[in-house]
Amino acid sequence: MSKPELWVVAERRLDHIEPTTQQLITKANQLAGDRFHVVAVLLEATTDHLEDELTTYGPDEIRVVRDDRFPTATDAELADALKQLVDAAQPNTVLFGATITGRSIAPRLQAKLQTGLTADCLDLRFDDDTLVATKPSYGDNIMCEIICPDRRPQMATVRPNTFAAQPTPNGAELTTAKVDFHPVTRLHVTAATPVVNTATTVGDASRVVALGRGAASAATIDAATQLAERLGGRIGVSRPLTDQDRFTHDDQIGQSGNTIHPDLILNFGISGAVQYLVGMQDSQTIVSVNSDPNAPIFAASDYGYVGDAQAFMTALLGQFA
Amino acid sequence: MKIVVCIKQVPETNDVTIDPKTHNLDRRGLAGVMNPFDKNAVEQALQFKATTDAQVVLLSMGPDDYAQSLREGMAMGADSGVLLSDRAFAGADTLATGYVIAKAIEKIGDVDLVIFGRQAVDADTGQVGPIVAEFLQQPQITYAATLRLSGPNEVTAERLLEDTKQTLVAQLPAVVSVRSELNPPRYPTPRNIQLSFEKPLTIWHHDDLDLDDSRLGQAGSPTIVTKVYAPKPVKRELTPLTGTPQEAASQLIKALKDRQLL
Ligand SMILES: Cc1cc2nc3c(=O)[nH]c(=O)nc-3n(C[C@H](O)[C@H](O)[C@H](O)COP(=O)(O)OP(=O)(O)OC[C@H]3O[C@@H](n4cnc5c(N)ncnc54)[C@H](O)[C@@H]3O)c2cc1C
Ligand SMILES: Nc1ncnc2c1ncn2[C@@H]1O[C@H](COP(=O)(O)O)[C@@H](O)[C@H]1O
Repeated sequence: MSKPELWVVAERRLDHIEPTTQQLITKANQLAGDRFHVVAVLLEATTDHLEDELTTYGPDEIRVVRDDRFPTATDAELADALKQLVDAAQPNTVLFGATITGRSIAPRLQAKLQTGLTADCLDLRFDDDTLVATKPSYGDNIMCEIICPDRRPQMATVRPNTFAAQPTPNGAELTTAKVDFHPVTRLHVTAATPVVNTATTVGDASRVVALGRGAASAATIDAATQLAERLGGRIGVSRPLTDQDRFTHDDQIGQSGNTIHPDLILNFGISGAVQYLVGMQDSQTIVSVNSDPNAPIFAASDYGYVGDAQAFMTALLGQFA
Repeated sequence: MKIVVCIKQVPETNDVTIDPKTHNLDRRGLAGVMNPFDKNAVEQALQFKATTDAQVVLLSMGPDDYAQSLREGMAMGADSGVLLSDRAFAGADTLATGYVIAKAIEKIGDVDLVIFGRQAVDADTGQVGPIVAEFLQQPQITYAATLRLSGPNEVTAERLLEDTKQTLVAQLPAVVSVRSELNPPRYPTPRNIQLSFEKPLTIWHHDDLDLDDSRLGQAGSPTIVTKVYAPKPVKRELTPLTGTPQEAASQLIKALKDRQLL
């Protein structure tokens, strides 16, 4: 008997694959062991070759469906195509990134399939062939484990940057599948402008200098900018700093911002609210500077200094020079 | 034009705790309020009402005390409220919730536009809108950042994806879920609060709708919550950096070199 299929629905981000897709393939490979057949499902235009960005991560199979309408298709049209693929292959599990796109298509597909979907998961594991998905609720104050015992496929959307993507030399078998494209005539995308964001985001950086309300003066931010440059990293911020003109929501770390796991993060003037911590607690090395010895951030840190953020930055920059 | 706005009642604060004995959520003493994201949906409907002859109906599924947030929405200016309340609906996940809400929208009848909030702040899923859109077989626009009536029977929205700003045009009837950036919701005025008590609030029970019982409540919910716990941030072994900033900085540099980070 062939192995049950564990699917990752690949997502496009402009002309590339959304990084969450690659993260999910790595996680799916780890979960699958010998029990599941990991399939990356890719809907692309006839001239696209996005599978090249998936092979490196070594799913067992990349199932490609081509139609020139896919890149601009609406949620319902994509969900309809996926429904046909699910009906044909009867996968055990279907995973999506919890991106805007994933969170729009997955529930539409869920309703078509009348099955369970767990949103915005922070962890996944299998008990036999039942997916146990960990989902935060009440603004990350509570964690729930959720299963879908009786219906298949079982589905989940997974928060971006929850898992790390790892290339593997395994390679992947490339197959193609066909669906009928059913256009939805009552909804049209009349314009699509790329949001140009050439800089790497805080989510991709391997070193992050993070600033909070205690490190918000112009002089401190300037020192932090130099420090980030010296470390080859990026600046990230806690939520209050997104009110400043220099920063946007894209720079925010935390539950309602980016989940990151850089090799190194330096937290300056950040108290360590749970909504912040969940966004960065999987970083490899965590260093925090805060003038309050009782700030909760210290309990989540490897190294801590009780003192003024700017003074510490200046001292650090001085010793790098 | 008839607009339905789906609203959920949620606890006033997200600082919920877990009962150490029962391992259940302890929501005692937490007042219920309208889900903050749903206020943006109500506000949008009211702006349409101001420029057209739109009738704004609020729809909520939940226990009888959800009437409170329906009154809240009527005090903002909505015309009427419908509460779907029955023991048979209890324990529903997003699929079973979406089913009953879609059935109720069919019963309300001649609905041109259904507006949802971005997500409920307790469950944090954002799934109910697309599920209802699918059950109603209507086009959906999720995470709308702007929304306007662009024709007699048409809405135009902008949606910000991770990499692209899309403009979408939908023929009505359609389902839209909105982001909070859309608008600042209005506050109820004293006069509207007074009026809200005269506006019709209808309660529909199980028998008022034409329902397939196997799709209701817990039995109709494919998902089960098997465990609820408070997240423990992974506590780390803290090495203090001490002395003057200069001394502390050199301790850090040494540590980072040891960890091959410098
Ligand atoms: C549903 C929800 C979602 C949220 N999502 C997020 C999120 O994604 N990201 C996020 O960050 N927050 C989020 N928050 C907000 C979060 O709860 C906190 O309010 C926020 O993280 C606090 O930011 P902060 O640490 O910068 O500021 P504060 O809590 O004000 O802390 C400032 C810190 O700076 C220290 N300090 C002051 N002066 C100095 C100095 N000179 N040198 C060194 N230290 C100094 C102080 O001791 C203090 O610890 C969310 C909240 C909710 C309810
Ligand atoms: N019980 C409910 N009654 C009415 N509307 C709801 C209910 N649950 C969710 N909604 C609507 O669906 C949106 C998304 O909720 P959720 O999928 O639970 O995050 C909310 O913002 C509401 O507009």
